[in-house]
Amino acid sequence: MIPTGIYFDTYAGEASLLKTARARVWTALLVLGLIAAPFASGAYLLGVATQMFIILIAVYGLHVTVGMAGQINIAQSAFVGIGALTTARFGEYGLPFWAAIPLAALVTGAVSVVFALPAARVKGFYLALTTLAAQALFPIVILGLPETWLGGLVGIPVEPLTVGGYVLSTPKQLYYFTLCLVLVATYAAFNLHRSRFGRALKAVRDNDVAAEVMGINVLSYKIQAFFVGSLFAGVAGACMAWVLQFVTVESFTLFASVWYLGMLIVGGIYSPIGAILGVLFITVVQEGLHEFGAAILNSGTHEAGGTIFAATNVALGACILLALIFEPRGLAHRWRVLKTVFQLWPFPHR
Amino acid sequence: MIKLLQVMMDGALVGLLYGLIAISFVVIYRASKIVNLAQGEVLVIGALLLWTFTLGLQGVGFHIPYVVGVLLTFAACVCFGLLLERFVFRPLIGQSAFSIFMASIALLVMLRGIAQLVWTAETRPFPQILPAGSITFGPFLVSERLLIGAVFTIALTAGLQLFFTRSRRGLRLAAVAEDHNTALSLGVSVRSAIAIAWILGAIVATCGAIVLLSGRIVSLEVASIGFKALPVALLGGLESIRGAPLAGVIIGVGESLAMAYLDPFTNGVASNVLPFVVMIGVVLIRPQGLFGWIKIERL
Repeated sequence: MIPTGIYFDTYAGEASLLKTARARVWTALLVLGLIAAPFASGAYLLGVATQMFIILIAVYGLHVTVGMAGQINIAQSAFVGIGALTTARFGEYGLPFWAAIPLAALVTGAVSVVFALPAARVKGFYLALTTLAAQALFPIVILGLPETWLGGLVGIPVEPLTVGGYVLSTPKQLYYFTLCLVLVATYAAFNLHRSRFGRALKAVRDNDVAAEVMGINVLSYKIQAFFVGSLFAGVAGACMAWVLQFVTVESFTLFASVWYLGMLIVGGIYSPIGAILGVLFITVVQEGLHEFGAAILNSGTHEAGGTIFAATNVALGACILLALIFEPRGLAHRWRVLKTVFQLWPFPHR
Repeated sequence: MIKLLQVMMDGALVGLLYGLIAISFVVIYRASKIVNLAQGEVLVIGALLLWTFTLGLQGVGFHIPYVVGVLLTFAACVCFGLLLERFVFRPLIGQSAFSIFMASIALLVMLRGIAQLVWTAETRPFPQILPAGSITFGPFLVSERLLIGAVFTIALTAGLQLFFTRSRRGLRLAAVAEDHNTALSLGVSVRSAIAIAWILGAIVATCGAIVLLSGRIVSLEVASIGFKALPVALLGGLESIRGAPLAGVIIGVGESLAMAYLDPFTNGVASNVLPFVVMIGVVLIRPQGLFGWIKIERL
């Protein structure tokens, strides 16, 4: 919502992402804050933030497939894994990062199209089942292939990330690298909503018959929704490969896919802000449980780690259920309500 | 030749076990239109409850017969179904299919977490409820456990088929599976349908656990059987009880043939991949499965 008295003379002004000077100032402050953050925080926190950025890129992709186009995808983690494996595999040939990222994205996108093809015949949860099959097939196929191809059970070590001759390996350097990528991904995700492509996806989501009548090629857009969502996953996978330095199949489980979806649902599937809020919220809950669990149990033991993992799963499941039952529009809607209240103060209504 | 027949017979028996677990999917869908991806976790919870009421109680000094233990587990399944209906699915009646599907995914992680919190991730022996030996028919060897399971599956299929197609209550459940709002407007209680669906689903899954695990090891990883049964349920048709055992036999025989003749050349991949390839194939070629309802959509 825009405060009273602000109007636009041009279409470009109407369509701009940051409509008011205040919005521009806040966004600039946020970006400056993120740039300044490493000077005020330790290595652990930076690691968590880097991980969060990577997950956010993957969840943006899920936002395109699930939130904008309405196609359920429970294989996002497998797609991230394909991106990571591609990066690790081609990194061995000394591919520079500016070529590796698009390559990882395109390979992931190509694989996702294969599993989106059933959209020609079915819709709804049947399509979700093919992505479930993709997620289930991913470890079986990787483990079955010879170890020299994609690492098999052992995994592939990743060549360190080099940008312009410098090797990026400290937490601070990796933080800045992922920050750059997440800013680009954020712009892309917000920008998608004001393009013909984004509007077409939303039309398909809201009513595919009506969308077809309006001249939108529903099948093509459904497949493209998977493709674009997987491009984000591929980029996230490339980042993850460089940050973890080692890629194994075990990092890309069905549970990770469910976590990505859960973050999106808790945040709100209909806007990129939902992806940001969801990732932030779930990460805070997870880290909180970690601290809390470590304080109660004698940390370090294997059993304690398992218990914390279990507790996080229960918390995440509960968060998804609560979001579905009480606020299907997610935290993004609460955020909008809060903003409106702030703008209208001291008046309760417009 | 004898090896081929033996392989196919083993496959068919294991397939009927898949069919039994697939029935627990179908029962939930057929009565409430909920696709429950968490069925593997429900099976594990059932198995762990049964362990608690038999070996677990024995461990603390209460010796109760297995039959009573099984009955206590079924009673716990009833509570489980009622709880799920009241706190998860009742608030979601009338919500989009997406919400209900996501709720089942949320249940998947939540039930896994709860199982790990309550029972920890350690593996434990499962009580020997069905006999462990094998019977020899001429040159063939048949596992007694799977044979009893197969007979039970066929009997259960016949019983449930009668319940869903002949009894008044079963037909009401079919209305709920068609559309929640229409069912509500015709005076069918969707709440009780969902409760019945989950109670039946949990009980059938527990039976599946008994056949699958009797005398073996129970751990959280057993839940992956749920994803093997999902292709079976889909091939048989999500609304069809009698489709499930037939589809189970098809996939079971296919899997054991692949295991015997293809796995040595494919590093063990073929038999694991087969169910999911079948699943994608079914979705592509015949989404309603062998005996499912064909959905007709109008403008």
